Amino acid sequence: MVIEVIERQTRKWQMVVDVDKCTGCQACVIACQVENNVALNSDEIFRQRRATEWIRIERYWEGEFPNVKARFLPVLCQQCGNAPCEPVCPVFATYHNDQGLNVQVYNRCVGTRYCQNNCPYHVRFFNFWEPVWPESLRNHLNPDVTVRSRGVMEKCTFCVQRIRRGELDADREGRQLKDGDIQPACAQACPTDALVFGDISDSNSRVSGFAENKRKFHLREELGTDTNVIYLAKVDAEAKDRSHA
Amino acid sequence: MRKVNPIILIAISVVGFGGLLIAGVAVFFLFNAWFGLPVGAQAPDQPIDFPHTVHSGSIENGGLGLDCTFCHRNVAEGAAATVPSVQQCMFCHKQITGTSDKAKIEISKLTELSEAGQPVNWKRVHRLPDHVEFVHDAHIRYFSEMNGISASEVCSTCHGDVASMVKVKQVRALKMGDCVDCHRKYSAPTDCTICHR
Repeated sequence: MVIEVIERQTRKWQMVVDVDKCTGCQACVIACQVENNVALNSDEIFRQRRATEWIRIERYWEGEFPNVKARFLPVLCQQCGNAPCEPVCPVFATYHNDQGLNVQVYNRCVGTRYCQNNCPYHVRFFNFWEPVWPESLRNHLNPDVTVRSRGVMEKCTFCVQRIRRGELDADREGRQLKDGDIQPACAQACPTDALVFGDISDSNSRVSGFAENKRKFHLREELGTDTNVIYLAKVDAEAKDRSHA
Repeated sequence: MRKVNPIILIAISVVGFGGLLIAGVAVFFLFNAWFGLPVGAQAPDQPIDFPHTVHSGSIENGGLGLDCTFCHRNVAEGAAATVPSVQQCMFCHKQITGTSDKAKIEISKLTELSEAGQPVNWKRVHRLPDHVEFVHDAHIRYFSEMNGISASEVCSTCHGDVASMVKVKQVRALKMGDCVDCHRKYSAPTDCTICHR
């Protein structure tokens, strides 16, 4: 039998978050929750600071009344190129794959939570309980995504199930993957197009267009985590803190 | 030498042999679980005795010689191979009501379900753990393109010769070692996110 080596094109997935466009509507949060079988959070869970939100909108107030301005910052797993969560995992449940994704392998995870402690963005979540959904939502679970059980860390995957599906669909139709074929749930749901997802190694993709943008910044750049989520600063002459305004 | 009470000797030997026996049984179960088929992978009784031999068995052997994809329509298009709906069975079985007594009984079960608008509660034969996402279409496509064979001829790589099975049973362990061995053999990607996501 002939053994063929399948040529896999190397891709590097990145996301651009235009803070100027974000209205803080939380559509991405809900879309992510639905797409990725993220367990429902209650008030009590929020009070305990154990809420699971793979993408969250951080809200900042700026200025004194009556000139108060609300600032929004969507925060998701930054898919760091130099990820602090990876070297601390004792069982290699989190590792870096060839497409620049920071992968969490649920069935390897033993729940030490070292990665959560080492994450500077607070985007890793621990399943303190077995996730439960109301009976009416049982059939709404996404079959392409594992339901994480108790004692397992989870985090944003850049909707890796959609990436794989997109690759396979392109392969079946015998064409190259083109920009915009793959969209994570958050980017798809964003009404103002503030979240843009794409392949940075493709020079014609939309994310590549933002690579040289003057408003570009990374979260906690000083840590040298080499993140794959690029933020575009808000356009506002009155803004005090340029980093998130 | 001090004389030992024979009852104590017998007791020690019984405990010793008993311990060995228990350890042996434990080792057997461990080996069985590691190398054997998963628990519950044996051919279960189905609500309707569906003979694959009649439907997909070759014409020389008295079958119809249907392609697998004739009923499992999604197999080359998506992750799930899909079990046909009752409606799809009735597409043929509205006319074909069976020749033998056995077939007449089984097909009448199907007709009843169809009239009641109920699905057939097939027992699942091949089950993977929840954290594994197997994608049928990619495997079918790769093997059929590589060997120049039709989609239906690829199925037996993992599922065995279903066409000659009266009752479908699992033939391959379909555990992670099984998957990874094959992926390495054909230089398929072995990134964790290919299956676990």
